[in-house]
Amino acid sequence: MILKIAFRNTFRQKRRTILTALAMIVGFTLLSLTIGLSDGVYGGVIEMFTRNRTGHIQVHREGYLDKPSLYKTIDNLSAVGEAIQGTAGVEAWTQRIYGAGLGSVGEKSTGVQIIGIDVAREIQATRFDNKVIEGNVLAEIAAHEAVIGKGLAKILSAEIGDEIVIVSQGADGSVANDVYKIVGIAESGDAITDRTACYLHIEDAQELFVLEGRAHEIVVIVSNINQVDKVTNTIKANLNDSTLDVSPWQVVAKSFYRAMKTDQQGDAISRLVIIFIVAMGILNTVLMSVLERTREYGVLKAVGTKPGQIFWLVVCEVVIIALASICIGALLGVLVNYLFSIYGITYPEEITFGGMKLKTMYAEVNVQSLYIPAIFVMLSAAIASLYPAIKAARIMPAKAMRTH
Amino acid sequence: MEQVQKTEVIVTEGITKVYAADGIPVNALNGIDLTIQSGEFTAIVGPSGSGKTTFLNIISGLDSPTEGKVWLAGKVLSEMSGNELSDFRRDNIGFIFQAYNLIPVLTVEENVEYIMLLAGVPKAERHERVIAMLETVGLKGVADRTPTQLSGGQQQRVAIARAMVSEPTIILADEPTANLDSKTGADLLEMMHHLNLETGMTFIFSTHDPMVMESAQRLITLRDGRIDTDERK
Repeated sequence: MILKIAFRNTFRQKRRTILTALAMIVGFTLLSLTIGLSDGVYGGVIEMFTRNRTGHIQVHREGYLDKPSLYKTIDNLSAVGEAIQGTAGVEAWTQRIYGAGLGSVGEKSTGVQIIGIDVAREIQATRFDNKVIEGNVLAEIAAHEAVIGKGLAKILSAEIGDEIVIVSQGADGSVANDVYKIVGIAESGDAITDRTACYLHIEDAQELFVLEGRAHEIVVIVSNINQVDKVTNTIKANLNDSTLDVSPWQVVAKSFYRAMKTDQQGDAISRLVIIFIVAMGILNTVLMSVLERTREYGVLKAVGTKPGQIFWLVVCEVVIIALASICIGALLGVLVNYLFSIYGITYPEEITFGGMKLKTMYAEVNVQSLYIPAIFVMLSAAIASLYPAIKAARIMPAKAMRTH
Repeated sequence: MEQVQKTEVIVTEGITKVYAADGIPVNALNGIDLTIQSGEFTAIVGPSGSGKTTFLNIISGLDSPTEGKVWLAGKVLSEMSGNELSDFRRDNIGFIFQAYNLIPVLTVEENVEYIMLLAGVPKAERHERVIAMLETVGLKGVADRTPTQLSGGQQQRVAIARAMVSEPTIILADEPTANLDSKTGADLLEMMHHLNLETGMTFIFSTHDPMVMESAQRLITLRDGRIDTDERK
């Protein structure tokens, strides 16, 4: 009967119910959109960062990440490549060689970071072709060509068609030097990298450093970024080689990951502020609705309804409204997040986020943008109903019935 | 706990009630000693502010006295917890209010059966008693209506049915005819008088209505929170 009264009460005062429900629905939708946008932006930045640079998973010789060295190479490259290729969830992979050297164009010289890339695989995995903003991508067959970073081109006053002389040291101790024709200028989105990057075909780099058949790094792209840990473990198991480190992007790009985490914590604070404001709104409407009906509660109590039953009556009413609001809010939340995931919100000016340039913020439709607001609405409704419920339960019938 | 005689339904001893109205203490009741026997049809009368409603509220446990004790059906009200008091009211007191005070979201049948439902009476028995009670108060055929679909007189009949259906020890009626026209009021009063004679239930009214005063067996007049006169007819 208490439930029946609660249910009918929610329909009796439509305006009051709609007001309470509105506070909950708006709160749900706002929170859902905040989560959707936040996850969408972070997801986008992380995807952009990993796709463009680190990949989702990297394989190195043990200890390479902490202390990179020319000599810490992956030697059984073809076997490792095959094992990775055969792992479920792997979308693409590529191999790289890194080395430092001196680069000279004409009279100008500067320190360069030589990055030997498997051109065809690099294009597939990290969309290397998109980074080349001028000239051409390296040929897929080694042809003594180089693509240099935009900043490096400026430092060396280099232009397409110029030759760059690289001087370094080979893995066998010999002096490594060679000449490469600059065929393209690249912009990775990270200005620091672009001031030193000199991309060569991996075979040219292997030849330069006397590292035939070897690489320093294998970069893996997975089809679902949320499965990174699982795929990392599978690769580890498949390789079964303790001399190799298999690291997810969170380990490879520690500082980027930390920056993302810190930023997300900042976001959590703004979520808490929204939660607080909405909870206050809910408390206000619920309290008003209880105060409005003080007399009714007085009558219920006078005729023998126990304080506990009155308490549950108020809580039930609020919970019924909360359940309905959650259903409507979930539909709206999915809808707005879906719309923003397609059309996005364009920033008035391009912003840099974690070294990435962002023009548009896209939302993401995910489970947490539904269950977190659902838990929040239910909890704040339950908490907000406690005070009015206790107040109603403790009402002195005689005093309550004097209220009009 | 002191035991009262079986026939003494209500005994009050030195009931005082002080309200703080805007910080100024107002004595609504000033030491009322009263005994009401079972089956009495009593009217408590007096000018506005004489303490009639306060007295009814206190003897029914809806309000607590500042000083003094109330025995109702042998129990001291002030010694009961909130839950015990709710159960005690449910089982022993039927209320009839001036403003009817029906539960607006429940139908007539649900309003009347509400107290029995709280008391755990089985559904079939509830239904049977509600139908019989509605017939007694002349409301056959309106069981499915909501209070807003009824006239004032009909609503008060529902309130009487609700008060009496669980066969309480006493019926407390606070100005039950004040909101009704004199014909309807007279009819209801006649009905309550009849039920009193038939069931032997104790009725206590607070009233201004000369008709109620006329039909009462006992007339207690309150003035300034004290019993001024107490006449039995």
